Amino acid sequence: MEPADELLNEDAALELHTDPMRLNMGPSHPAMHGTIRMVLDLDGETLVNLDVQPGYLHRGFEKSCERGTWTQVFPYADRLNYVSPMLNNVGWSLAVEKLLQIEVPERCQYYRVILGELSRIADHFTCNGASAMELGAFTPFLWLLKVRDWVWDILERETGARMTHSFGRIGGMAAPPTATFKDDVRRVIPEVFKVVKETETMLIRNRIFLDRMQGVGVLTKEQALSYGCTGPVARSTGLPYDVRKDHPYLVYDRFDFDVPIGEDGDNWDRFMVRLEEIRQSVRIIEQAIEQMPDEGPINIDDPRITYPDKQAVYTTIEATIAHFKLVMEGLQVPKGEAYSFTEGGNGELGFYIVSDGSGTPYRVRVRPPCWYNLAASREMLLGGMIADIIPTFGSVNMIGGECDR
Amino acid sequence: MPKFTLNGQEISFEPGETVMQAAWREGIEIPHYCWHPGLSVAANCRMCLVQVESGRQMEMPQLVFDEDKGAYVPATKPKLQPACQLAAADGMVISSTNDEVKAAQAAVQEFLLLNHPVDCPICDQAGECKLQDYYYTHQATLKRKLTEPVHKPKGVRFGPTIVYDAERCIMCTRCIRVCDELAKDHVLDMRERGNKNEIVLAPGRELDHKYTLMTEHVCPVGALTSRDFRFKARVWFLKSGKGVCTGCATGCNTHVDYDPRYGKVYRLRPRDNPDVNKFWMCDDGMMTYMRHDTDRLDMPTEGRGQERRAIGEREALELAADKIRAVDPSELAFVLSAQSTTEDNLALVKLAEALGADRMYLAALGGWEGDDILRSDDNNPNRAGATHAAGDIELKSVGELLSDVQAGSVRGVVALGWATAESLKELAPLATLDSVVSLTSHVGALPAVAAVTIPVADIYELDGSFVNEKGISQSFETVLPPPVGIEPAWKAISDLGALLGVDVGFTDLDGLRQSLLESAEAAQ
Repeated sequence: MEPADELLNEDAALELHTDPMRLNMGPSHPAMHGTIRMVLDLDGETLVNLDVQPGYLHRGFEKSCERGTWTQVFPYADRLNYVSPMLNNVGWSLAVEKLLQIEVPERCQYYRVILGELSRIADHFTCNGASAMELGAFTPFLWLLKVRDWVWDILERETGARMTHSFGRIGGMAAPPTATFKDDVRRVIPEVFKVVKETETMLIRNRIFLDRMQGVGVLTKEQALSYGCTGPVARSTGLPYDVRKDHPYLVYDRFDFDVPIGEDGDNWDRFMVRLEEIRQSVRIIEQAIEQMPDEGPINIDDPRITYPDKQAVYTTIEATIAHFKLVMEGLQVPKGEAYSFTEGGNGELGFYIVSDGSGTPYRVRVRPPCWYNLAASREMLLGGMIADIIPTFGSVNMIGGECDR
Repeated sequence: MPKFTLNGQEISFEPGETVMQAAWREGIEIPHYCWHPGLSVAANCRMCLVQVESGRQMEMPQLVFDEDKGAYVPATKPKLQPACQLAAADGMVISSTNDEVKAAQAAVQEFLLLNHPVDCPICDQAGECKLQDYYYTHQATLKRKLTEPVHKPKGVRFGPTIVYDAERCIMCTRCIRVCDELAKDHVLDMRERGNKNEIVLAPGRELDHKYTLMTEHVCPVGALTSRDFRFKARVWFLKSGKGVCTGCATGCNTHVDYDPRYGKVYRLRPRDNPDVNKFWMCDDGMMTYMRHDTDRLDMPTEGRGQERRAIGEREALELAADKIRAVDPSELAFVLSAQSTTEDNLALVKLAEALGADRMYLAALGGWEGDDILRSDDNNPNRAGATHAAGDIELKSVGELLSDVQAGSVRGVVALGWATAESLKELAPLATLDSVVSLTSHVGALPAVAAVTIPVADIYELDGSFVNEKGISQSFETVLPPPVGIEPAWKAISDLGALLGVDVGFTDLDGLRQSLLESAEAAQ
């Protein structure tokens, strides 16, 4: 028998090049989310080249928007980043409102912030939980999803749906906050803190987890910039860009919160940035809950934009006409174009919209944050081991619905 | 030319024109209900109020609520003028969009909706209603009135074609003026005042002149509805194609409104053409759309009467070619149709020429009354076009064809179209011939006596042109696709020519139109 330590001489083993092998990974692979195909060129287990091929979840989102009214885009927007659909709803509302040059009432702005941040928490829970699960740590995944369910319970009570809310409206929201909204949110906040703490206890001193995360899937600051990365992926490299901080929208400038950044741009930093962002989101929510007025309108007071009260639609001709116009022709958005961007779950979610003055979008272009992060994932993976694709691709948090549109 | 300025834009006008007319000609819309370019000025809706900002300003006293004092205090507001009645003057500066005017427009609109019923969901005008459009653009406020609206008669039968709803009516009097000025029949008038106003019929009369559907057409709201179109379709599902009316030789321009989902035409609307029909059409013309899917011939047939049976398309063409071959060209009659396009007629003429036949007849409809408003005495849209297509050959009537058949000088007939003034009984001599081929979109007396019928596209299903009685050639385009396997007549004739082994001299519509153009130039 050979001595065991000879086999463990890694440097010697790496010099033994094998015949190059080409391997297709995905799209039908659980770690590829079923929507990405990677063509890998392998030297042993080392990735010498790879081609990341998105597009398997392309539904023609942008083209579909050109058929319905501006309001009918909300269900499509839900299905962009379906892990945090409320952020997409808010992003779309703000884009159209920018073109209409209107601002929703203050109460609605706080409402949007709180619902959006709850969605962001759910988004990060999902990404970090799945990252851990894919490395064999199933418990944190279940714990995180347990609390995510409680967050979703709130969203369900508010919007009627756990995932595809379609709750945003141009000029407001579909419904005002429920009577128990603030209490519900206050009740879930300690649970969020608790589960983040539990996750840390389970993972951040776990040797197996650390080895798979630290120094793996490194993206430099320069690469992140040149690929146009945003969100946790960019922040993990040390770029402190957060739309909420740098280009505040809604009422984000009224809150005290930090933008966590990493140093190395590896899987570990991406994981930790997301974990810290959950805490920051909770900070924002706590402040917003205090500042949010309990009374006041949610929708702007203009029957050309907001649906009139249903009882009025049934009993008065003015409201009937307003309703008819909004349903059959859609609200009329003035001719022009606008780019509006918000901080989505994965970074800068931008909507570039063009209106020809009718009730239907002339052109809608989405800047999905995943798209740029996915492009950069090649740099993270190249030269690494095939097994590292799973944690690295997981920490990029590619969401097919948003990436492929 | 003198000019005035409207909202910062210079508009030139003919002396005597009103501000509204000049703006309308420039394509600028000043919101209005009662004004219509083809009718006299009533200036009663007050929606077109504008402010003349040049010259001496007229002011009107009014009371304005003062928040500080908690009481109404005297104030003034500018006197606005109706643009439809305001004669344009050189150098005038007019605004139809300043705050004073906007307030007036919103107020007028609010008044008009004060007693309006909540009818949009069941109203045929919804989707093309000016009350809806102007609500969105000029009012955009919810109801302030809390009391029950005034109720008035609904669903009043005005005549065989029109139903009236007084609650929806805004008393613009356009319908009254259409009857007075277009139909020259003072059958409608207004009674009562204020919110008790309603349109009434002259005692003992019905709304039954030849232009009743124009009252519905000019109605800016859903007060007058056509009994034919009522509850049939929702207008936002309809698409519109450009057509020419087949009702008579005037050739009124039409919008053909159809539902693309069902391939069904629902109505015609007049299309403005100052040289032909201005803004109008007659009732009979409006109803010609009914022909489209009534009594269509959708299968080629062989045999007559009880022995008629459906056959295949290719079989029908071959059978028709055999029938034509069996007759000497000198004994072969070609029947053009005054209801078919110039192109289709020309195709048949070209086939006749290629075969060496020179017996040409013209089938046309009759039994119609013209008037001196729009309706021509000839109820065929294309008699002039068919005559032109025949060139030097003189077209004889169907009556003469019958006597030629009885005299034995004609032994075969190739007929285009379904339309003849003669009854089936009168056409009986044709049924004695073995070689009668009919190319037709509909069933009728002429196809009924044919030994072979070949279905062709209807008037909404092809590109073509009509020449009206003034000699104006008006082309129109395909609105709906023809049923599967059915083609325009010129195409069927071209196929027939190929089967007969003769060169008809065209392969496509462009070729046909080119030779039409050449013959028209030669005639000049």
